[in-house]
This record gives sequence, structure tokens and C-alpha cells, in this order.
Amino acid sequence: MSGCPYLGRKHQLFTSKPSQAEEEDESQKGINKASKGGIVYGEYLQLDKVLSAQVLQSQLKGNKIHDEHLFIVTHQAYELWFKQILWELDSVRDLFIKNHVRDERNMLKVVSRIQRITMIFKLLVEQFAVLETMTALDFFDFREYLSPASGFQSLQFRLLESKIGVADHLRVPYNRRHYRDNFHEHESETLLSSEQEPSLLQLVEQWLERTPGLERDGFNFWGKLQSNIEEGLKMEKHKLEKMEDSEVKQELLEDLNKQSEIFTSLFDPKRHEHLLSKGERRLSYKALQGALMINFYREEPRFQVPFQLLTALMEIDTLMTKWRYNHVCMVHRMIGSKAGTGGSSGYHYLRSTVSDRYKVFVDLFNLATFLVPRAWVPKLNPNVHKFPYMAEWYDSSYNSCSSEDSD
Amino acid sequence: MSGCPYFQRKLLSTSKQHLKEDENDDSQSGINKASKGGLIYGDYLQLDKIVTSQVLQSELKGNKIHDEHLFIVTHQAYELWFKQVLWELDSVREIFISGHVRDERNMLKVNTRIHRVVMIFRLLLDQFAVLETMTALDFYDFREYLSPASGFQSLQFRLLENKIGVPHNQRVPYNRRHYRDNFRDQESELLLHSEQEPTLLQLVEQWLERTPGLEEDGFNFWGKLEVNIFKGLRREKENIEQKPASEMKEEMMAELIKQRDIFVSLFDEKRHDHLLSTGQRRLSYKALQGALMIYFYREEPRFQVPFQLLTSLMDIDTLMTKWRYNHVCMVHRMIGSKDGTGGSSGYQYLRSTVSDRYKVFVDLFNLATFLVPREWVPKLDPSEHTFLYMAECCDSSYCSSSSDDSD
Repeated sequence: MSGCPYLGRKHQLFTSKPSQAEEEDESQKGINKASKGGIVYGEYLQLDKVLSAQVLQSQLKGNKIHDEHLFIVTHQAYELWFKQILWELDSVRDLFIKNHVRDERNMLKVVSRIQRITMIFKLLVEQFAVLETMTALDFFDFREYLSPASGFQSLQFRLLESKIGVADHLRVPYNRRHYRDNFHEHESETLLSSEQEPSLLQLVEQWLERTPGLERDGFNFWGKLQSNIEEGLKMEKHKLEKMEDSEVKQELLEDLNKQSEIFTSLFDPKRHEHLLSKGERRLSYKALQGALMINFYREEPRFQVPFQLLTALMEIDTLMTKWRYNHVCMVHRMIGSKAGTGGSSGYHYLRSTVSDRYKVFVDLFNLATFLVPRAWVPKLNPNVHKFPYMAEWYDSSYNSCSSEDSD
Repeated sequence: MSGCPYFQRKLLSTSKQHLKEDENDDSQSGINKASKGGLIYGDYLQLDKIVTSQVLQSELKGNKIHDEHLFIVTHQAYELWFKQVLWELDSVREIFISGHVRDERNMLKVNTRIHRVVMIFRLLLDQFAVLETMTALDFYDFREYLSPASGFQSLQFRLLENKIGVPHNQRVPYNRRHYRDNFRDQESELLLHSEQEPTLLQLVEQWLERTPGLEEDGFNFWGKLEVNIFKGLRREKENIEQKPASEMKEEMMAELIKQRDIFVSLFDEKRHDHLLSTGQRRLSYKALQGALMIYFYREEPRFQVPFQLLTSLMDIDTLMTKWRYNHVCMVHRMIGSKDGTGGSSGYQYLRSTVSDRYKVFVDLFNLATFLVPREWVPKLDPSEHTFLYMAECCDSSYCSSSSDDSD
């Protein structure tokens, strides 16, 4: 027997005439609304456009290669999802730019949309497995018909990079030199705007600088943290010095020294500026403080969702670099060391982009360098410090069911 | 430090110098071919069509709802991949229909493409997680603008079902009654053809009937198997009867009788025909024998790829039903017990389609009912039974580099 409950139940009645019992099942009721006019599925999704956009170059040139269809559809699917990511990204940037983010009721929307972007990126990384069912041999059969088209000319991919916050001067040289070449007029303008308008990184930076608790004449998180850490390190040192001389004691003292240096650097604004100029740090000193604050106090009601946001931003960086690396591995298999159709060195060029240069929220990752024992984190007193549980929501234009804010 | 090996290697004290080092790196050499004219990425993929087909009904009706964009893009991505699946499916059906499959050199192509369909379905399954980032509340905000558009009107989905081999008379009533209603003219013709032309199931059935070794005047697999099985069962019975009386002995006897009944049914052709008429079996009796033959002798060189094919066919069924179930779960969350926009009962209707009625290769799954100990499988003698390692390559039109066969 097939084992299916529905089939088993109805099987005695199953002759070529549909049984009475089956037809009367509630689940089978309903009419077909489409026959009464109104927009149908295919029109709603403009499938006439979407499904007529697959034209094989190999076929146009008289040598139709079966696998080219997969190649086309895969890239089109990527571009559809890039569009979706840009839709979400722009809406979030807008919430920051318009200052609606100061009304903390908008934070759920912000985090949900950034998390949605990470879900899409996960899918895009998984999508490689489908294109990998094409062999290098099959690709070779039609690759010649593609030149000079290349993923390097993907406008949406560049917009994505710029709007998230990839810095122009940090792009690897071939990328930096040529990536604008492909775009003219309208597309070129769009690209330029994406470089000039506030990126997600810049907007998050400004938001972090406003983290409650940083105010020197207020909670003064940074000042308190610094004195706690210095105190803590001093106590550790005393404890160690009381130990009997041994190799272990030496090693522990060395570790402590290293630790001290790390924290000394943390509290050195000049060093931070220096690293900023080299591109090794991307956030302002104040924003870094805000991020560390949110990390340490993530369980306070006010910081829970902001903490989720910081996590999601790192997820975006991680997934983008995984995407790049997956791409590299596949290209290597497909074309070995040949040059790319767009003119780059191919695999070698792509490999160079799997780099922390393209890691926008690198500072959030590096916060893990500065974690301290819970006991060293400045204590909060709920009677004195109300900010960890009192949100701000004064945006007069905020209306949870307003259509304007629905973007 | 950022920790990136590429970055550190180039890290020098000034920003200008580090740029200079980069420029000499071979990976950064190359020109930009696109500037010399010729096909570029966006034109190749007709992105002007793809990326402009997202029109929000909520926006047209003056109440733009942000999440509708995700809804549209997700469905368009599904339809792109449906097109790809149909491309692969039709090419495989063509290889069978044209008889080219008799040249066993074509089996790799068949297998690879069916496996590719499996990979695409896996991706389509993962894709639900992206749409699930939309809440029921957000969906509610724009659902009213969609009516009566419904996934029930997806032509490609129906073509897929038909071409794989979902039989019309097995569709659940609402499905059976209405699924043609939405399609007119050219679409209706396409749908009709997909019901009338040989399905993958029918083509695989005919192929299975040709499995070498079934010939009664040849290896006579079925005859030998029947003899071996009943001999084996008889021996088991004697073994058990020799045991001292006990509850366990009675249980073992009962088990054996059950087993025997199962095998009696296997060799009862009339019973098979009866189950065929009720839709519980789908393959002919001969094809079933061929499938069991391939299972038992899967390690013989000639049957290795055919065995992979049977496995992939079951994967397709499994993934399609998982797709249906994922869809059901999501719809339940989105609309609870409300009716579908197309007019069906919604969740209840969809749930009824998660059924073995839609399992095309159900017989392959059920073969596991008839597995036997290895010793009962009729023995092969390589000097006599050369068919196990000698393939047929009789197709005169076969040419691995021929463009004709490249479809």
C-alpha cells in the first residue's frame, strides 16, 4: 500500500467515477474566482516579461548549447534577489536618513529588514550548488559566445556594495580602476549617487554615536570602563606577583602584559584615528564606544533589539564574503587560470576580493578583542539609570498603520 | 588588525605606498573589455525586462505596502526556476522520445539533468525561509489588492506536474475540477499538450520494460527470483518449525506468513493490474520487474547509472511533496483558515494535495517492501551473462560534440 492517509481512506471508493464522499469534503469546496475577471497571477508577476528574457547566445550564433539556459536563469535569479536586497536596504537607510529611527518603535522594522537581507544572502550562497551541476566542459562549449559580458558589469551588485558601505579607496586596484567603466548615463548617475549618499555604515555609525550612556556628564560609560579595566588589570597583576616563581608564572605575566597593551590601545584615540586612516577601522571612536556599550549591556531592554541589529550587520559581511569565496571556487573550477570575459585576470582577481577590505562592519567583529570579565563592566543602578529601560518615541509622523511609513 | 592575509601582506606605513605595491600584483592586471563594444551583462540577461517587472498592486492602488515587493520577487524567482526545470525535463523527455536513450552513452546526460532538477528543487525548498520573514500582519496589509490572482493560476507549475506524470484523474477534486479554468488560447493548448504527450513516468516505464535480463527466454530474472524467494521462505519455515514451542516461535511464524503473503502478492500479475486501476501503482508489471532488477544488480557496471537515475526520480517526488508541505505550513501561518484568493478553501485545499496521489514514482518507493537477503537474488555468471557489463551504443546520430544532440 502507498501508506498515504488520504489515499487509503478514500481508496475503496476510488473508481473512475469520483466518489460522493470525496466531492463533499469541505477542503474541496470553492469556486474559481479567476474566471470572473481581475488581475491573474501571470499578469501580476509580469511573467510575459520575466519568462521571455532567456535568449541563448549560443543559439543565436547557430550552435545551441543546452547548459547556457541554466547559466542565464541563475544570473537572472541572482539579479532579482539583488533588487530585493536593494529594496530592503534603501528602506532601512531611509528610516535613518529621515531620522525616523530616533523613534525607537521603528527599530523592529529596521532589524526585521536587515535580517531578511541576511536570509536572502543565505539563499544566494546556496544557489551556487545549482550552477555547480554544470561541468567546466559544458561551460567551455558556450563561453566564447558570452564575451565581453561579465558579472563585473552588474550594476546592482555595485550599488549593493556602495550602499552597504564598501569604501572606494579600499577596493582592490583592478576593481577600483575599472568598476565604473561599464556604466553610462543613467546607470552611471545611479552609481555615483550610491557612492555619495549616506551608506548603511555611515548611518549606523551616527546611530551608534547617539547610544544612551556615552554622555560624559551622564553615565560616562567610557570613563567608567577605562578605570574599571585599569583597576582589574592591577589586581590581576598583584595576584600573579604573589605566585611562586615558575615558567607558568612568567607566561601568565606575559599574557597579562599583552592584555594591558591591547586595552591601552583601546583607550588611545590617536591610535584609533591612525587605524581609521589606513582603513583598518571604519567606525568613529565614539561609534565604537556605542557598539561596545550595546554589547556589554545587550540584555537591558533598550539594547536588546539594537544588539540584534549589530549581530545581523556582521552576518551580512560574513555572508557577502562567503558569497565571494563560493564564487571564486566555482570560477576556478570552470575556467582554471584563464582571464575573465570582462578582461580581469579571472580567478586571481576574484580571489583578491575575498579580503577584509570588503568587510564593512569589521569593527564589530574586532570588538571581540576587547571583551572583559562581567565583573569589570560598569554597574547599572535602575533607580539612577533609567535609560536602559526607557525608550524614546517622539516621532510625530510615526503611525504603525500609516501608509507613508509603510516604506 | 583586520586579520586578513591579503591585507597584511600589502600593509606598509603610508597609504600611497601600499597602493603602489598593489598595482604591481598580477592579479590586478587586465583591461576592461566592455568599453570596446559588444554584448554586456545587462543586455545578455535582458535585465531591463527582469528588473522592471516588479509593480506593487498596493502602490497602484495608492497604499504602497513595503512587503509586497518581497512577495512579488519571491514568486518571480520561483517561476524562473520552474522554467529552468521545464527546460531540463523537456530535454530529457526528448532523449527518450527520440529513442536516443537506447544509446547508453546518453545516460550520463539524462542522469545529470534529472539530478540538476533535484538540486533546483532543493533550492526552491530553501527559498521558503526568505518569504517567511514576512509576518501575517504585513501580508494582511496588501493581500486585498491581489485578488483574484493566485498561485493556482501558475501555468508552469501545472506543466511541471503533467510532464513529470501527475495523472489527471488522481488530482484532488478541487484541483481536478478547476485547474484548467485559468488558461486560454495558447496557454490552454500548452497545457493540453502536456497532458497528452509522453510524460517522464511513461517514458521511464517503457525504458524499464527494456531492462536487459528480463527476457523470459534469456536470463529470466523474474522467474528465477520467484523460485529463489519461495525456496528461501520454505527453508525459513523449516528452521522455525524445528524450534521448541514458545511465544517467540509463534510470533516468528506469524511474521513469516506475513512475509510470504507480501511476496505472493508481488508475483500476482492480476493483483498488480487491480492496483494499477485504483491508482495505487503507476508502473506496468514489466517495468516494476525492471526496476527491481536494477535495484538488485545496481553494482553491475551497466546498471550503476540507471540506479542513480531511479534514486533521483524518487528525490524529485520527495522534494515536490516537501515543497507542497512547506507551502501549506506557510499559508496556514499567513491566512489561517481563510479562503484562497483564487477561490479555493485555502489551507485546507493545499493540505489535501500533500498526498501520495501526487507521488509519481510511488512504485520505486514501494520496491523497498520487496527487498530480500542477498543470497536469494539470482546469481550471475559473468562469462554467460555479458549483458551486465556490455552497453549498447547503437545510435548512429550520437556524437558527443554534435550540436544536434546538445539539446
